[in-house]
Amino acid sequence: MPQGEAPSETRSESGASSVSYDGATKRYGDSAKPAVDQLTLEVPAGEICVLVGPSGCGKTTAMRMVNRTVDITEGDILIGGESVRDREPARLRREIGYVIQQIGLFPHRTIAENIGSVPQLLGWKKERTQARSAELLELIGLDPELGDRYPAQLSGGQQQRVGVARALAADPLVMLMDEPFGAIDPINRERLQNEFLRLQAQVRKTVLFVTHDIDEAIKMGDRIAVMREGGRVAQYATPAEVLMSPADEFVEDFVGADRALKRLALMRVADIDLWEAPLAHVGQATAEVRTKLAAPDVEVPYPLLVDSERRPLGWLSERDLAADTVPARPDSPLGPVLDRDDVMRDALADLLQGEAQYAPVVDAEGRIDGVLSVEIISEFLGSPRAKVEEHSAAERPHD
Amino acid sequence: MTSPALLAAVGEVGKGFIQERSSDTLPCQATDALFCWDWAKDNIDRYGTPTVQHVELVAISVVLGFALAFALALLSHRRRWLQPPLLAATGVLFTIPSVAFFFLLEPFTGRGRDTAIIALAIYTLQIIYRNTMVGLANVPESVKEAARGMGMTERQVLWRVELRLATPEIVTGLQIATVSTVAIATLAVFVGGGGLGVPMKTGIDFATNLILAGGIAFLLAVVSGLVLFGVQRLLTPWRRARQT
Repeated sequence: MPQGEAPSETRSESGASSVSYDGATKRYGDSAKPAVDQLTLEVPAGEICVLVGPSGCGKTTAMRMVNRTVDITEGDILIGGESVRDREPARLRREIGYVIQQIGLFPHRTIAENIGSVPQLLGWKKERTQARSAELLELIGLDPELGDRYPAQLSGGQQQRVGVARALAADPLVMLMDEPFGAIDPINRERLQNEFLRLQAQVRKTVLFVTHDIDEAIKMGDRIAVMREGGRVAQYATPAEVLMSPADEFVEDFVGADRALKRLALMRVADIDLWEAPLAHVGQATAEVRTKLAAPDVEVPYPLLVDSERRPLGWLSERDLAADTVPARPDSPLGPVLDRDDVMRDALADLLQGEAQYAPVVDAEGRIDGVLSVEIISEFLGSPRAKVEEHSAAERPHD
Repeated sequence: MTSPALLAAVGEVGKGFIQERSSDTLPCQATDALFCWDWAKDNIDRYGTPTVQHVELVAISVVLGFALAFALALLSHRRRWLQPPLLAATGVLFTIPSVAFFFLLEPFTGRGRDTAIIALAIYTLQIIYRNTMVGLANVPESVKEAARGMGMTERQVLWRVELRLATPEIVTGLQIATVSTVAIATLAVFVGGGGLGVPMKTGIDFATNLILAGGIAFLLAVVSGLVLFGVQRLLTPWRRARQT
């Protein structure tokens, strides 16, 4: 979703309620082992709580008890202090956004009608529903013209965005997301995750997010509930805490041996000191560029070609510099370009994937902000500073 | 042209329809042509009433059959145990030879159009019921889960989602049922049900007549099939939308 485009009519959608599990238990039939056992945890309003664990740990069941698509056997769940057991299920569900892995868009309804599904159930006036659909299409960064299309005409990623928009349409108090990005290819998944985090920074919903992927949990969660077989919570803490001090062996195993690397998922590129590359402009005399390169404090040994708006175009090679003026088409391709908002782990992955040692980092307008190198990351991982940074990042992970 | 045995089986063959306006001999006998244009031109108007009767037979039977099959489908949709017996029952009814069915019903309902309509309607049950069930079964589980999860009641899930998405199969069922009923309805004449079977039966030894009556029945089948195809397209605009 394009940044800096947050339309003024997108109210800071404040409606969000806390969710409290109060000894909530689900038992199927007479079986002795409950699917969810005495679950007690509190999700503060406006936060993302990720339920993560191996398959069969009861995470989806736990999530579905909130909107009563799974009924509670014992205990209770309170939304904003109100018991869900007292509510009529269909009415309760209209106040809770619901996103599933298979998306489940209505094939016979247009995109705008799909988004307007819950408002329609709530009996909103047609004009209001249409206006809301248009507003949400903009919020998720889809062309308003797509509103008249049918789901089959959209890509998987677009469909998933519409699924999120549909869940947000009636401004729900709580969002339930069941492996929402699980069926999306890795590249688009990363993009959708980032988009959702930006969206969440605007709408500030209380989100219960189910995944089996610990990396996704670390990235998305304000808090993570690591669940284990038998429907029990092994640890409920911030991502940093789960990584730094796993509660027990189960959590440690589940988090994996590469905990150090995973810490990168808690940081954004903007959180680290970047390097500066000597900048060059098209048509500039190469002599000037060579002077910059020769400076003793130069951090990146290659000049970066930028346009008049300081947007990176490519790296200049020795051959480029052999000419009198800087050419418009540099010899070396630009390679990966990173966003200030990218998570460090993804940035490192992009660097490795692009077989690049350096990658320009740009701001929301695409202007050069600095250069990230593999060296910066490895230095950072080795420095004692890492721990401090992690904590501060974890406290405000989604700006 | 037709064997005496078949003529005997059919019964009261003979003058009636063909000879009403002609002399004692059959027309065009001299030329021995397969299709007698002169006779056709002079007599085409006389197929009007049988055609209207035929359309009525088909329409009423299909509407009744649809109402019953659709009700059975809704009834058994959330009660899965009902589906095998209903499929079996409608299937057995479907396999009874049509002429036999008409005569089986005759002692109970007498001769006439009603008997024909009952038999024809029962024939449509299997096709419409099975297609409706297939359509409902084809609705993706994820779509139903999303519908319930957003707060639709079971009734809303059924009418706003499942039946809408099952529309293509349901209309296809109607289409097949209608086209086949157009053909089977020509046998309604055996219980005095009228329709295009009347000229066929009374003039079974006159090719021109058979071609005319059969041709009209064929046209009825084609037209009703096309109309329902159009209805299906109108009701399911999302299926025409292709990836762009």
